[in-house]
Amino acid sequence: MSIEWIEPVLASTTSIGVVYLLGSLGEIYAERSGILNLGLEGIMAIGAAISFIITIAWGHALAFLVAGIFGILMGLLLAFFAVSLRLNQITVGLAITMLGLGLSGFITFPTTRKIILQTLNPELPGAVLETQSVSMLPSVPIPLLKEIPIVGPMFFNHNVVVYITLILAPLMWFLLFRTSAGLKIRSVGENPGMADALGINVFRIRYLTCILSGMFSALAGAYFMLGFQPFWIEGMTGGRGFITLSLIILSTWSPLRAIFGSLLFGGIEVLQYRLQLFGLGATSPQFVLMLPYAIAVITLSLLSVESFRKRISAPAALAKPYYREG
Amino acid sequence: MFKLERRVYPSRKTSGLVIFLSFLLAFFVTGLIFYFLGVNVVQFYSIIGNVFITPVLFLQAVFRSIPIILSSLGLVVAFRMGFWNIGAEGQIYLGMVAATGIVILHVFYDAIPVSLMLIAMGVASFLAGGAWCLIAASLKAKLGVNEVLTTLMLNYIAMLFVDYLVYGPWRDPEGWGFALSIPFPDYATLTFGGHPSVAGITISVAVAALVYVLFKYTKLGFVLSVLGKSSEVAKYAGMSVGRATLLGSLISGGIAGLGGFYVVSGMIGRLRPRASPGYGYTAIIVAMLAQLNPWLILPAGIFFGGLLTAGDALQSLLRLPASTITVFQSVIFLCIVLAEFFMRYKVVLKR
Repeated sequence: MSIEWIEPVLASTTSIGVVYLLGSLGEIYAERSGILNLGLEGIMAIGAAISFIITIAWGHALAFLVAGIFGILMGLLLAFFAVSLRLNQITVGLAITMLGLGLSGFITFPTTRKIILQTLNPELPGAVLETQSVSMLPSVPIPLLKEIPIVGPMFFNHNVVVYITLILAPLMWFLLFRTSAGLKIRSVGENPGMADALGINVFRIRYLTCILSGMFSALAGAYFMLGFQPFWIEGMTGGRGFITLSLIILSTWSPLRAIFGSLLFGGIEVLQYRLQLFGLGATSPQFVLMLPYAIAVITLSLLSVESFRKRISAPAALAKPYYREG
Repeated sequence: MFKLERRVYPSRKTSGLVIFLSFLLAFFVTGLIFYFLGVNVVQFYSIIGNVFITPVLFLQAVFRSIPIILSSLGLVVAFRMGFWNIGAEGQIYLGMVAATGIVILHVFYDAIPVSLMLIAMGVASFLAGGAWCLIAASLKAKLGVNEVLTTLMLNYIAMLFVDYLVYGPWRDPEGWGFALSIPFPDYATLTFGGHPSVAGITISVAVAALVYVLFKYTKLGFVLSVLGKSSEVAKYAGMSVGRATLLGSLISGGIAGLGGFYVVSGMIGRLRPRASPGYGYTAIIVAMLAQLNPWLILPAGIFFGGLLTAGDALQSLLRLPASTITVFQSVIFLCIVLAEFFMRYKVVLKR
């Protein structure tokens, strides 16, 4: 087997892996602070839909900005329900997923989309109003580094968002595990009552991590649209938000381990396309696609086994609302 | 200024009123959202209302509501015992697989007599749906694994498993290569009573009655309710918590599996990929709207079946996408979740 075959596979492994990695960065913070955001799938969908529309109207840069803003708004909605009103995070999250999937389908529907596009930019030519595809983010190969065999195409021949995400992951790991701000976030997720007694503002931290989770999920959706699959299909996120939640479990709530996990999940997806291409797994690509979900179930089970649980476990206050008065 | 006062225990009357008001709030909020998105809101609601006063459309609403009602009744059992089963969608898919499996056993291997077909399909789909729920339940009972994430992930595994079957070994050899199972023979379809919705509503009422009896009159139902209030209390009272969790979730997933049986046998007449447009998720809203009361599940479910029916009309009359209904559903969902807040707290005016 020649190296020409392996390099594009590894390159697309990174491309798709970054969707999961970017989506996980905010949600790892949220879960570390005790917030389980099941709305991730819907926020990702809305991020993809909005970036699709805004790219047509105003271009790539603003697409990420607007998608991020909508993600923040969805995060605030989650925070208001789950932190301020202390409602059940699971039902709120599922409702947000439903809302995101619904709205993303609604605003991209040809008739509604046409009206939105004409309002945003009246000078758009008629043909653009009907298009299902957008221009992809341009690749920015890094000179010299991209020449390295295998590592070059895998990490140094991508668009800007990939680079930013790969740099952000270790930075966010450092912030979470090596700074006092990170310690505060983690203590809120382990024992909010104790954290509160020590003078940490539980509500403020959880609002912040909800916003982060919403923002990064929407950005992941925007990246998926503009950096990986630049044509709109309703429901295109197709469970990738939940795969991101699965990645977070596999990486045991660490942004650093999430880098490796995201490459694994990206690899699984690329492998599935390849298998179909070669006719090897033509009868059962579904079993490959099941892997991320199965891995989540298995990891969760292993983490609950006594000997593992002593060393590493889910944040103790995950998905539990905090009542100050007890 | 306003002040929040905690209610010790909301009365049934208060809960009902709060839920009803938040249900109305959802209509208002949805109207507001769609008004800003340029939809003719009056027409939107009149199309939805029309479904419930036109007999043909109402029958269609009932038809579409059966899988929602059945899986929602399953969720009543799970939620009452404090088991956060959000895997009804996957359990529906497993029910479909089992029912289709029986048909295939019959058609290709002649294994089951014609007279027993429907019963065998029902039992198989119940057991398959129940077994799917049991995976998450036994992980919870044995290892303490949180069921929310496991049931959620199992949904996707189930959906992909159906994809595998109809694209692979169960594909109809005479189906022109489409990803469909063989069509079910007449005696394997749920059409007693002249119309599939009659058969469906009969089964639904029977299951609702069984769930009602389970909680009202049986020991298992009592144990499950105690378990739902506090697993500690259940343990101290000497109840076998693990066994009850497993039994309850078998019943919960099993009833959702019956919903899958109805989808393939009553609605489509064969198995196809993605045969459920999210019935199992809508069922969560219905269970909460009905306040886990099995009898109230029936009208609440029919309302959501009506929304699905109205979705078709919205597409043809107002040129609105099917996702319009998803938005409306999600707003109802959020409002019902919000209702919980007003059940727990009383807003009082303070001088």
